[in-house]
Amino acid sequence: MSESSFLPKSLQLSKSLKLLSNGFLSIWCLIAVFPLLWITLMSLKYPLDAFSANPLVVIFGPGTLSAGASINFFDLLLVILWVVVAFLGIKRWQAEKNLGSKNWLYLGISIGWLFAAVALTELSATLREQLGADFFLSTPLLGMTTEHFQSVWIEQEFYQQFFNSLFVTTGVVSISLTVGTLAGYGLARSGSNWAFWILMTALVFRALPHSVLVSGYLPWFINSAEWLRPIFGEATLTLYGQPWAIIVVLASINQPFTIWMLRSFFQNIPRELDEAARIDGCSHGEAFVRVIVPVMWPGVLTAGLFSFLLAYNDYLVAALLLDAQNQTMVPAISGYFNRETTSTDQVEAVAAAVSITAPLFVLVMVFQKQLVSGLTQGAVKG
Amino acid sequence: MADLELRNIWKSWGDFVAVRDFQLEISDKEFLVLLGPSGCGKTTTMRMIAGLEDPTSGEIFIGNRKVNDLEPKDRDVSMVFQNYGLYPNLNVYDNICFPLKVRKVLKAEQDQRVRKAAGMVEINDLLDRRPAELSGGQRQRVALARAIVREPNVFLMDEPLSNLDAKLRISTRAQIKNLQYELKVTTVYVTHDQTEAMTLADRVVVMNQGEIQQVGSPLEIYDRPQNVFVAGFIGSPPMNLIEGSIQDGQFVCEMNKGFPLSGPEGPIALGFRAEDAEIVSEGGQLKGLVYAMELLGDATLITLRIGGGLMCVKMPKDFRAKMGQELAVFLKPAACHLFKTDSGLRLNQS
Repeated sequence: MSESSFLPKSLQLSKSLKLLSNGFLSIWCLIAVFPLLWITLMSLKYPLDAFSANPLVVIFGPGTLSAGASINFFDLLLVILWVVVAFLGIKRWQAEKNLGSKNWLYLGISIGWLFAAVALTELSATLREQLGADFFLSTPLLGMTTEHFQSVWIEQEFYQQFFNSLFVTTGVVSISLTVGTLAGYGLARSGSNWAFWILMTALVFRALPHSVLVSGYLPWFINSAEWLRPIFGEATLTLYGQPWAIIVVLASINQPFTIWMLRSFFQNIPRELDEAARIDGCSHGEAFVRVIVPVMWPGVLTAGLFSFLLAYNDYLVAALLLDAQNQTMVPAISGYFNRETTSTDQVEAVAAAVSITAPLFVLVMVFQKQLVSGLTQGAVKG
Repeated sequence: MADLELRNIWKSWGDFVAVRDFQLEISDKEFLVLLGPSGCGKTTTMRMIAGLEDPTSGEIFIGNRKVNDLEPKDRDVSMVFQNYGLYPNLNVYDNICFPLKVRKVLKAEQDQRVRKAAGMVEINDLLDRRPAELSGGQRQRVALARAIVREPNVFLMDEPLSNLDAKLRISTRAQIKNLQYELKVTTVYVTHDQTEAMTLADRVVVMNQGEIQQVGSPLEIYDRPQNVFVAGFIGSPPMNLIEGSIQDGQFVCEMNKGFPLSGPEGPIALGFRAEDAEIVSEGGQLKGLVYAMELLGDATLITLRIGGGLMCVKMPKDFRAKMGQELAVFLKPAACHLFKTDSGLRLNQS
């Protein structure tokens, strides 16, 4: 970063200390990123390589290579190119000052870029045919196969779990943010003693083990057909086993935290903004929607990300409450591991595990700027 | 354009009374300044006019319309806040335009009015900046432009200059005065700075502990303070107040034998301004020891210790005195103000 060159003398490190701290940092980064890197490598190899005791075998995959699944130098180049351009594009988007209507343009470009990935695979295949296997660019380099991913996503229909997860997270995030912003704003602006006690109660609920909430809701979900019938008529479903049920439970687990977090964001917004808006012609509600929420946007996004993570990574609630066909991704993966019939199944489980981290990467990359400002500044000054 | 009336306004939070029986009529196009130390209820009074607080009792009229039950947006007032209150996510243009957008003014008219308002406060070249990229003075001018763009009935200004540095304060002060003259809008201005009050106001309301102390033109307030509080609050340095008593037609106080002074017998506070007194070698009425000598450039301020109290005398710029030296002060009899010691009220009506 460029700021480092403007560090005051008092904060500058001596050469040796700098070397030491950078060395430590790199080792730490390696350790932190290792599990993710390793399962990614494993998921791309045949079981023979993936479970080898020799790490070099896992990395280069000679067994996979000899089985005929490989990438060549040219493929590797294309992959690197694709990733670098995507990264630069995101950087560019983040640096844009007045986005406004340009957001749609960027959305279009990113969808186009996903299609470009398909086109590039085709291009690589054609080139291999044209140049022949002897040309240096098309010599097989590493053993690599996408077979396990195909098997997981297409044959075993992992996309169903993906859509279940999508449904649950969307539900949890929208409920958490709607209730959280309204409650956070109300509690931040209210001078009443009740506000304090509501916050304290929320804290207690936050401290409860998740399984307590689940067992509290369980009888109601099982009997839901009976008590919901007067409202929804004969077609009422039993909530137990449905994604709706875990949306309710996860939202209630998550709600105290979002309320607390959003409240502290709202407290950092000067009351003068509400007042200025109201004098400028807004009603109370309009002032909230047109002035306060736009200023709060980084905070809303940050709270939204945490809600998303909770819902996305939840294992306990989903495992306890959901039917097999409504399973979300995380409990489904544990299902893959437990199956344990062949070693191929194991690698498929690893491939599924790798798959569910990808959306998290995309999310953090896209909202990086807003998240950082939401996490660091907190205060929004006029 | 409207006049403004506050009838018997009270505001209290629990036991704490912030504003006590506030009664005032403000005429159309008047520049009224609410002046007082912090916590005196001046800002609360203004917020009640704006509709940001509800009075505990009493009635507020804007242009003969009772506004007690109206939302701030329906009162047709605009306000400039101490901390500017700009919308940080909007650029300057959109900040100024916001009141017009909310009130659904025609698009074509919006642009023309925003540019006119921005021109009046000279920020035309800043329109696409964000508030965070502006200096304090520029931000305050944006806030002013946002207030004038709507052409409201009443302007409310809550210590708009207190966050600016001294030099900028003087130029912005002149700008506000000029704007009010050009726009001819009734203005209520809250400040704790008496210089601002003096320079801007058509009429000043001095407040203390929720009560009106005196209402009058800046000159009246300066020349004829109605009580000890106003006397001690207005003026730089404030009026000298010397506790003593009148016995047999003579004013007696610590360190002084007495000099003839007409007034009721008994304990009394004698007030006079630094510029109405003079240090003389002969014929002075009051004696004191030099406590401090301050050079102001255009004058020299001599502070004398007189018993337990201090008094200030303004002398020509080349006047010098030794510390601790005993000096005699001559008071112009016509410039003496007498106040009751117990109630603090003014005694002589001259």
